[in-house]
Amino acid sequence: MGCGNDERQARDLPRVVVVGLASCFGCQLQITNVEEHLTDVLGQIDLRYWQLASSEPMPEEFDVAVIEGAVTTEESEATVRKLRERAKCVIALGACAATAGIPGIAARNFFKRPSQVYKDVPAACGSMVVPRPVCAVIDVDYTVRCCPVDTMDFIDVLQRALYGSNKFDRTGTMCGQCKRNGTDCFFDQGQLCLGLVTVAGCGAKCVNLGRACNGCRGLSPDANLDAARAACVRAGVDPDDLDEALALFNQVERVQSARE
Amino acid sequence: MTRTAISVDHIARVEGHGNVHLSIKDGAVETCEMNVVEPARLFESMVVGRKFADVPYIASRVCGICSASHVITDILAIERIFGVEVTDRTRALRELLVYGSYLQNHASHLFVFAAPDFLDMASVFPLAKANPELFDQALGLKSLGNQLCNLVGGRSIHPITAVVGGFTHEPSRDEYLAMADKLDAEREFARAVVDLFNGFAVPDIATQGDMMAMVAEGRYPVADSRWARFLDAGVTFDADRACEQVEEYEVSHSAALFARCRQTGKTYFTGALARINASWGALSQEAKVAAAKAGLRPPERNPFLNNVAQAVEVLDALGRCADLCRKLAEPDGPFEGDSAPVPFEVRAGVGTGFTEAPRGTVFHQLELDDAGRVVHATIMTPTAQNCANLEADIRVLAEKLIADGAEAPEVRVEVEKLVRAYDPCFSCSVH
Repeated sequence: MGCGNDERQARDLPRVVVVGLASCFGCQLQITNVEEHLTDVLGQIDLRYWQLASSEPMPEEFDVAVIEGAVTTEESEATVRKLRERAKCVIALGACAATAGIPGIAARNFFKRPSQVYKDVPAACGSMVVPRPVCAVIDVDYTVRCCPVDTMDFIDVLQRALYGSNKFDRTGTMCGQCKRNGTDCFFDQGQLCLGLVTVAGCGAKCVNLGRACNGCRGLSPDANLDAARAACVRAGVDPDDLDEALALFNQVERVQSARE
Repeated sequence: MTRTAISVDHIARVEGHGNVHLSIKDGAVETCEMNVVEPARLFESMVVGRKFADVPYIASRVCGICSASHVITDILAIERIFGVEVTDRTRALRELLVYGSYLQNHASHLFVFAAPDFLDMASVFPLAKANPELFDQALGLKSLGNQLCNLVGGRSIHPITAVVGGFTHEPSRDEYLAMADKLDAEREFARAVVDLFNGFAVPDIATQGDMMAMVAEGRYPVADSRWARFLDAGVTFDADRACEQVEEYEVSHSAALFARCRQTGKTYFTGALARINASWGALSQEAKVAAAKAGLRPPERNPFLNNVAQAVEVLDALGRCADLCRKLAEPDGPFEGDSAPVPFEVRAGVGTGFTEAPRGTVFHQLELDDAGRVVHATIMTPTAQNCANLEADIRVLAEKLIADGAEAPEVRVEVEKLVRAYDPCFSCSVH
């Protein structure tokens, strides 16, 4: 499903709203970081609501909803359901929306946590629920991955949402990317790297700069966690470290698969 | 008896979610609430039990725009505990990274968030048609901040390369020199930005609270001093004592903790205006002249002038960063040697990291066990420290406007402008 149908093209520009849930707002900032292309991007859409950048109020009608952040309250759960009802197309923006990301770390033993931060949880916190990605609450049409999203990746996904695309989502893991980049493997140095289970598409940005992959792009559908644990053992890495590292950006998926 | 309620729900053009509720009875402000409704992500709970090396990476996500500051602050806390001494080159790179986030933050705040208030626009986008030259220059400055963060940290937000002990990657000599030239080229526009914001009329109010900034003798420190000062109270303290000196407290209308100076009980302002008041003498000559021309001289207590203060800091930072880049490029310069992580040993302890984020002082206190895992964490972000003072200043502003005969719509508009002048990050304040 996309937003680029004939009926749309016959009408005015697609009306877009951008909404932030529990997040650092960094992925929304990455949209503003389009910089010199900002007017080109804005020229293709009718940006109706974006609290971060504009004081225009939320409209009743729109075509595309871009949602950043994880769902962590009943209020935000209601917000995303309403957005889904009204929007023809929903784009999940960033790791928090795609996998629950960093806020998802709190998913384990969630109900013990608020009292570790507050003496009396303030009413302003709303009704807190276990952190979930947007796609666990509603159907999502497109996802921009990573923490933070890559600005050009966002433009690419927006183009696909606006005009349609026959491109399949990538499913391969990051290791193939490092092979193409010709970078050394962390496992050869006895160090853990999540590239072997993380879906490719960022160009292995962190590995190129000397840091192991943290899995912010999310698990690849091709990931074989048992084989990855075995690979850890062969490289002299404690396989428990793999599970601990996965909790950074993929905790919610881990909690779910543990229940299944 | 007449009672008027003024509400600003979902304050626009700020990071995160906040509302203001005022109730005015017979011309006097009866209640005034800064209502922070950002969802709690519970960072202080989620880092407990995790290995030290993951913690800066997690803490970075407290805030997109201050991410460099959160990473460095957390690394400093860990290094304090382990007793790690990094090289001067690493220190210089950290300063450069934090300053990169100043350029990003101040350009975003000044143009995307604040300027539309004074240009009678709902957002910065109409500026593209109304004044394309200014629009392009503003985006150019913001882009330069991103480029600097990218150069040092590996991407514009959530830096990759900064780790305990040093950096995993460094730019080349040519990249430093090219960046220095770009920074220098931006100074002319930065001078114009100070004048531009000086030209915007703002209400004449004075904050009743104190101010807090990082201090260091003869310098304008952002990432390499352990000393913080309450400017009015004259209380200077080591960052390790932040949790004693700053009292954080809960209020039901805010998911962010509020803060005040424990010794005086006073709320306080932290951010560009406090830094300029604290370290005016250490600003570059060029920045000082531009500030003085704009009528900004210490002691300046009008929180609306935080906008001008940020513009002055942009000018100051451009010169400073160009200088740092050139020195980093010199093979035998003051920062010769390496920024590769130095070796260290993991040990248990408690330590506090401290930096001046673009929006003000930020403290991370960590307690680690002997395996280097987090036992306890306290994070104090600039906006959490500012909220109580902002609430008090909103009251001051509303009282003044009502006394001057203003009607509710005007009060509402000016209150929104004041909130934005504080450059709050509500998402950060809740964390």
